[in-house]
Amino acid sequence: MHIAVLAKVVPDYLVPSMDFELSNNRAHERFSRMLGLYDENAIETAIQIKEKTSGSLTLISYGSENDIQFLRKGAAMGADQLILVKGTSDDAAVIAGNLVTALQSIDNVDLVLAGQQSADMDRGVVPGILAQMLGVPFIPQIGYVDHENGSWTVTQITAQGKRELEFSGPGVLSITSIPENVPRIPAVRAIFAAKKKPVIKLESTDQKKMALNELEVAIPKIECVCEFIDVEDPGQAVRILLNRLNEERYL
Amino acid sequence: MPRIPYWNIDYGIIIDLLAIPVAIVFFYGLYQQWLLIKQGKMRVIPSIDNMIQGIGTFRLKAFLVRGILNARLYRKPASGIAHGFVFWGMVILFIGTNLVILNILFGLPVFSGGFNRWFMSFMLDLAGFLTLVGIVFFLVRRMIPPDRLRLPEARKGFVPVSGLLGLILITGFVTEGARIAAAAGSLEAGAFVGNFLASNLISPALAFEIHAVTWWVHGLLSLGFVAYIPYSPLVHIVLAPVNVGFADPAPNVKMGVMDFSAFENEDAEELPALGADKLADFTRKRFLDFSSCLWCGRCQEVCPAYNTDKPLSPKGVIVTLADRLASGKLDESLIDGISMDAIFNCTTCAVCMEACPVSINQPKTIMRFRQNLVMEQSRIPELMGKAVASLEQRAHPFFGTGSGAAEWRKDLDVPIFEPGQTEYLLWIGCSVAYEQRAQKIGRAMVRILQKAGTSFGILEESRCTGDPAKQMGNEFLFAEIAQQNIEDFSALGIKKIITLCPHCFNSFSRHYPKLGGEYEIIPHGSFIKILMDEKKLNLVRKDQLITYHDPCYLGRRNGIYDDPRTVIAGVGGLVEMPRHRNESFCCGGGGGNYWAEELGSRINQQRAGEAMETNADTIAVACPFCLLMLTDGLKKHTEETKVFDIAEIVDASTV
Repeated sequence: MHIAVLAKVVPDYLVPSMDFELSNNRAHERFSRMLGLYDENAIETAIQIKEKTSGSLTLISYGSENDIQFLRKGAAMGADQLILVKGTSDDAAVIAGNLVTALQSIDNVDLVLAGQQSADMDRGVVPGILAQMLGVPFIPQIGYVDHENGSWTVTQITAQGKRELEFSGPGVLSITSIPENVPRIPAVRAIFAAKKKPVIKLESTDQKKMALNELEVAIPKIECVCEFIDVEDPGQAVRILLNRLNEERYL
Repeated sequence: MPRIPYWNIDYGIIIDLLAIPVAIVFFYGLYQQWLLIKQGKMRVIPSIDNMIQGIGTFRLKAFLVRGILNARLYRKPASGIAHGFVFWGMVILFIGTNLVILNILFGLPVFSGGFNRWFMSFMLDLAGFLTLVGIVFFLVRRMIPPDRLRLPEARKGFVPVSGLLGLILITGFVTEGARIAAAAGSLEAGAFVGNFLASNLISPALAFEIHAVTWWVHGLLSLGFVAYIPYSPLVHIVLAPVNVGFADPAPNVKMGVMDFSAFENEDAEELPALGADKLADFTRKRFLDFSSCLWCGRCQEVCPAYNTDKPLSPKGVIVTLADRLASGKLDESLIDGISMDAIFNCTTCAVCMEACPVSINQPKTIMRFRQNLVMEQSRIPELMGKAVASLEQRAHPFFGTGSGAAEWRKDLDVPIFEPGQTEYLLWIGCSVAYEQRAQKIGRAMVRILQKAGTSFGILEESRCTGDPAKQMGNEFLFAEIAQQNIEDFSALGIKKIITLCPHCFNSFSRHYPKLGGEYEIIPHGSFIKILMDEKKLNLVRKDQLITYHDPCYLGRRNGIYDDPRTVIAGVGGLVEMPRHRNESFCCGGGGGNYWAEELGSRINQQRAGEAMETNADTIAVACPFCLLMLTDGLKKHTEETKVFDIAEIVDASTV
């Protein structure tokens, strides 16, 4: 069993909105970089499958060489090797195309997992495009993954409920977070072992971009206007607050 | 008439000769104990302070005060005094018995004059009597044991050995009484128990026969008792003082730092186990802890986790280990038996250590399990895991904070530390930077320092000492963060640091020096006291009643109790909670438990309730985590805001 996980190194996704700022239309460089939120869930899910099936796990990323230090965490968690396709594009089709190249450079991938959306662009489209390029099924928002008798049973989890699906052969899943795939804190000897795991660096290849142009990037300006509801009774205060929120069209 | 050795006894020398095999059995028993303890790992030997304090790692003062005088036992007066009766009674009786032997061997004149009357007769009778009183107390208490003795398990073996000792004392007194009764009418000056028995209970007609029988019974039982000591719980007579002597002299738990270099070394054949999962992972000192434990439960009685229905009992942990040690199961995994919840419920407040009469380090054992869970097994409760991950990713554990790094000092002109110009680094730390309520501590302290004209500065971006990682068992992450900080401090030439959080203070003063970072560290409360002493603050003493909650890492861990109290007394009236200073009850936030979904009832609510009962207007703390925990805990009792850091209180009282 060989599983590939697509992961992206992103700027801190928990920067408080009051503190968030842009530079060159992207999150400011001063923010710490780290593995994407859902990407860690995908890695954890993949490790659990790997442990159950005695398989192997490859972590694939598209980004800069500087990202390797953060990708190592995935190796410390349990990935056997890293592949980095060096590139700087934000275009989902370009990223997907390059990830396909990386996937094709390794043999016999049985399953591809990705986080349900990246923690910076929040699009969630790359794995879908990639699945289409590979010609395999794509199922988003997956929580549980089981492998039995050569086929996969997966559970899709949405805000409304869940749906169980089955497929055989390779496929691409985007993984959501569930209590069972909380990313592990790597053990110390795994952190040291990860330093010795192979890192394959690939040059990016020309891919067809999506036919769109970025015109503007803006973040909401946050203003604090403080208004006291000067009433003793909490019930009364809540009523006034609700009225005010309605008046201002926040609700 | 002076007493005659072996009076009324034929072949009495047999008793003395039997002392030789008894001594062999006794020392063989102790040797067996050593063999048990020897299985532990050798510990890294800390440097010797000086010969007056101790020899090698053996501390004479602690040995004498806590080991021999049993100072801590008297915190529970009834059992302390009863133990004092038995211990000192037996010491005096032992001296008396040896004097008799010296009399037999060398004719030492102990049976004549005032010495005979006041020591050999009165003192030995008194010692025997008080020992008996103590034994009766202990036997009755074993029959109606308090919870601390009974739960989770009572140590077996005390009743037979205490009964045996009682019997020895009774037969001793009867022998004495019979000897006096046989003299028909002439009592022995000073021997009040013997005289009472001779006058009231023993018929002179039977005195010779009774004496001959009880003399032998007393002698043989005494020898049996001595031989039995190392095989019974009474082995603590030897183990407890030794354990106390070898206890780390620094106040409370000192986890030390770990050396991870073996992991870097490609040639290292065997990598060390991190933390402990099985008995074999512990050091000899811990083995001695487990063997010395009397299962008295004083630790459990004061433990904040145990007292709020969490699955942890420090006694339970030590008992489990003691059982395993006795059964020789050194290589069986222990963690799941003790339970991961119990291991993470420890707030590392160290009140258990403070209560332990024999200086056992319960938190260190618990922390070793925690280190193993986190660093070897990747197992950590979810919220703590998020805090550790955040610490790794963002250099602070406050994941999801609504504050950016500079928000705490918004609209406040705070100088940045200038190499060569600024004297003190005001270390903000994680909570004061990233937690909204705690931010006020930083702002208050900045205003105080500015009013006092102190030369201080902060780092551009606040970060953590790494302490939360250490407390949650991730020593590796702590070491990485600490090394980075030390590097940065060196580059900036930082020498003096004011801390706002006792956890930072503890980390800087205890652990950083081991990693090469030596600084002069001063907690903010102590610094404010200095400013007050130097009359640099214009304080207005208000008519307000303030109670002070001792943070575990300032008080018990570092012995700083008075400075914050002096500061408070300068701005209001101090009123103490029932549990204060070294007996202070944790806020619940220690050991990384600020990031815990608490099981059982809430520690902070219990402590806040205790503070409320003092009727104080203000609850003062000197730790941002205590501030947050108690602020939250107080909500159960009142809607008023009453919890403030001492810096906030002083700031509000300065003009």
